[in-house]
Amino acid sequence: MGISKIFGGRSVLEFADEHSRRSFLRNAALVGVGITYVATRPGDPVAFGNADRGFRNEVAKSDLDILNYALTLEYLESAFYTMGLKAKLLKGRELELVDPIQQHEANHVTAVKTTIKDLGGTPVAAPKVKFPTGTFTSRAAFLKTAGTFEELGVKAYHGQVPLVKDGNILAAAASIAGVESRHAAVIAQISGGNPFPAPIEGHLGMAPMLKAAMPFIAK
Amino acid sequence: MTDTIRDLIHGNASVVPAGVAMGALSHGFELAGAKDFGSDVDVLNYALTLEYLEAEFYRQGNKAGLLSGKEKKYLMQIGDDEASHVATITATIQKIGGSPIGAPAVDFGGAFDSRKSYLTTAHIFENKGVGAYLGAAGFVKDKMILQAAAGIFGVEARHAAVVGNLLGLKAEGGVYMGSTEVGIPKNDVLKAVAPFLRDPDKVVAAITY
Repeated sequence: MGISKIFGGRSVLEFADEHSRRSFLRNAALVGVGITYVATRPGDPVAFGNADRGFRNEVAKSDLDILNYALTLEYLESAFYTMGLKAKLLKGRELELVDPIQQHEANHVTAVKTTIKDLGGTPVAAPKVKFPTGTFTSRAAFLKTAGTFEELGVKAYHGQVPLVKDGNILAAAASIAGVESRHAAVIAQISGGNPFPAPIEGHLGMAPMLKAAMPFIAK
Repeated sequence: MTDTIRDLIHGNASVVPAGVAMGALSHGFELAGAKDFGSDVDVLNYALTLEYLEAEFYRQGNKAGLLSGKEKKYLMQIGDDEASHVATITATIQKIGGSPIGAPAVDFGGAFDSRKSYLTTAHIFENKGVGAYLGAAGFVKDKMILQAAAGIFGVEARHAAVVGNLLGLKAEGGVYMGSTEVGIPKNDVLKAVAPFLRDPDKVVAAITY
């Protein structure tokens, strides 16, 4: 999915105050703005032990920076599902399938936060978000946005794999990423999308992920 | 609609004690024994063995004519994914100078007796695959290989979830296996797939996908 297509260019993220906005921008500054992302086709059939996967463009970050980046994404997902479920758009089997996702994302927030604290770091504050008008007014819009979120989340986790230094953090991140993959597949399955868009999931670096959000940050 | 995430998260976090979440995360790379794998080629050949099993499983299962409609389409896609994993891992082993292991001779017994037995076996296979990748990940030294393996691991998780849903299993514990995936040590994975290996030492000369 092209960056320009994310949320159809609608505003996704607005921060509560100038402080939240600055802490988010600080992450962006770590990787630089305007970095060119070279997309790699997922499922490259030739071989995958290739060093030229675009991650070279990423400036070295600490594991704590990466964890706070993951935390920001989990905050977003958790809030998204909390608001979506509150809107009562789903019922029956669909509700049964989406309900645990909200709990998973909340657990991820707690787990990532705790890990950051255990490492002596400071978890970033949760930003205030405002999802585009209409996101929670229909079942279709909710599930479509959910699918976009999950696919992005999966790629964001994979994008950090080569950069994480601590093996235990890598294991924890992988154990979360796999659950996001399950979410992505189930959301696609119930909303008429493709649960298996590629034989190998792709990855997205921090720079393009943040770049995607930059235009939508409230001034 | 505008809400502060802080409020939302706070409400949710109180439900889940941090210790529980971290306990789930502590299942990690320690699970696989220290001597399980000596090199990246070893890990990749282990993954290749599992992918061979899965690819052959779906090849036979999809020929059995047990499914129709969307189910059939999904299982065809899953089979294609597994075949692609075999090809990709084989090429990767060759690229880093290793020798890809041969395909094991397999016998899936009564797995293809019915739609239910096919999907149930698939569900078990996929969840074992997810655990196997996570359990072995700590042994991979090349970070680019690890990243690609993570991409395969995620696809196995997708398969597991979708097949679980096709079976109509309960969401938590059937479609999802909790907030975090759990790694499975090599020995436990091999024990689980042993019934399908006709003769572990007998290798099928040429399965080409």
